[in-house]
Amino acid sequence: MAGRIKGQLLKGTTTLLVLSVLREGELYGYEIAQRIRDKSGGAFIPSEGSLYPALHSLEAAGALDASWRESDRGPRRRYYKITKGGLGMLEEHATEWAVFSQGMARAVGGADR
Amino acid sequence: MTALLGYVVVLGGLLVAAVWLVRRSERRLGAGPDAHAAPTQLGTDVTAEITPYLDRMTGELALPAADVAEVRAELADHLQDSIASLEAEGLDRDSAIREALGRLGPAAELGRQLRMAHQSTRRLLAGVGGGVFAGGGGFVLGYLGGIMLALFAALALALATPPLAAVGLRLPDITSGDHSGNAVNSIFLAVATAIAAGAATRYAVRTSASLSRRTPRSVAAFWAVGGGLGFGWWAIFGMRGAQSWPSVAIELCVPVVAAVAAFARIERSMPHVGRWALVVGLVAVVGSGLVFAVAGSVSSSVINTIGQQPDLHLDSVAPAAPTAWLPEDANFGGGWGSDWSSGGTQVSLELDPNLGAPAIAAILANWREVRFEAWHALPMDMPGLLAGIEEAWHALPMDMPGLLAGIDTRYSSPIEVQPASFSGTSFEAVFHLERFRDSGSWWIVLTAVGPDGHRYRLESGMGGDARFNGSAWDWLTAPQ
Repeated sequence: MAGRIKGQLLKGTTTLLVLSVLREGELYGYEIAQRIRDKSGGAFIPSEGSLYPALHSLEAAGALDASWRESDRGPRRRYYKITKGGLGMLEEHATEWAVFSQGMARAVGGADR
Repeated sequence: MTALLGYVVVLGGLLVAAVWLVRRSERRLGAGPDAHAAPTQLGTDVTAEITPYLDRMTGELALPAADVAEVRAELADHLQDSIASLEAEGLDRDSAIREALGRLGPAAELGRQLRMAHQSTRRLLAGVGGGVFAGGGGFVLGYLGGIMLALFAALALALATPPLAAVGLRLPDITSGDHSGNAVNSIFLAVATAIAAGAATRYAVRTSASLSRRTPRSVAAFWAVGGGLGFGWWAIFGMRGAQSWPSVAIELCVPVVAAVAAFARIERSMPHVGRWALVVGLVAVVGSGLVFAVAGSVSSSVINTIGQQPDLHLDSVAPAAPTAWLPEDANFGGGWGSDWSSGGTQVSLELDPNLGAPAIAAILANWREVRFEAWHALPMDMPGLLAGIEEAWHALPMDMPGLLAGIDTRYSSPIEVQPASFSGTSFEAVFHLERFRDSGSWWIVLTAVGPDGHRYRLESGMGGDARFNGSAWDWLTAPQ
């Protein structure tokens, strides 16, 4: 896929991506990966191997709550829900990302001129 | 009363909070809900294919059992979803399994990443704090359990003694010469402390493992060293009382018990402390507080002084001072006194307040090296009614001395000698008879060296009882 972001660029963005999709509602691990891919039009496909450590780190930091319950499709799943602290963390990361991306756009645009 | 209320509130609150904390921890350290242990079924069963991967991953986790079960179940569910989705996209089963596992990456690396995600510094600090707290609660519970156990053991021994005596088997009398039962109390308390130290370390290990998201065995060494040093120091150097060889031996075992309890079968769940056990524990806390408060107020009101007896064998210490070297009106009629509040036995012999300054000066001029000598004394045999009264006294939780029959002539030297300092109108000295293992009954005499260079007895003295009071270390290093 020509528009897909490479792994190195994705590093450090997993937290922001996870928090941003969970802002819309509770999801379980596999759904989170799917939702990130769908929302980014396939540009972001987070490594599933880094997704779960990120989810568990966020839970340990109090940004997420996790609970086991029945999924829409029947079987029990571990659902993650963003907390108040998680919303604050999302806002902080989003601001950092905006500054970073604008800076990158200016720098890369400047190099083109 | 306020202090007692504070004692009950603090210990009771600690007990309830610690039990709650431990119960919570036990749920995490347990196997976890069965529903989480196995992957849920979705579409075709791929359990057999993904199990080796999950085994390698969980081998790196080193988390409490419930966390391991949860992580395993979550990833199994994820793999089931992923494989089903890939099969729906057209991949055959084997390819779908390979692709799904490949997306998760190397199992060992995933396990390490997940372990690091769980074992944060914040949780480590929570584990240490929670471990200390739960250890405190475990100590209180263990202490109460230990006292109950020691009481049951004493009861069993008391019941077993007559039948054993009937068949000619006599148990060693550890209460010999211990009329007030303090040495037995020391054994009880040493047993309770050993059990409490073990319970505290175990509670600390289990709770800190749960809160810090580690396996109990991985934190056991920390608590074994901490518990062994802390409780060991306290048991050997800090716990003071009327010691005996059994109590000292038990106290020396306390650090070992604390350390072993941190490791021995530590993966096994703690016994469930139910509501009734908690109620009994709280009642025991309140009850023991009341007993200590009452016993303390009774024993502190007792004065330990004894009157003189007609034949005290005092000449075995030193001959009486010739009256020629004492002023005509010199006597020590002011009387003896003793004070235990200084940590030892402070004795004072006050001169007759009617003596004038010239008479006192004459005494001090004629006599040198004035000193108090503490000698072993003989308890008095009291037939009939007196013996019954003495026995009744000793049954009370009071510090009541026996009556004394004077110097025990089997001893050729005093227990302790202290120079007498003259202050105002009295000679004074502080004895530490409680630091001797076998001082028992004592008699203190005032002696001095006269103008002829021989030592004489200036006054007949006073007697009392002393029992050893110190730590296990004091006992081991005490003079005989």
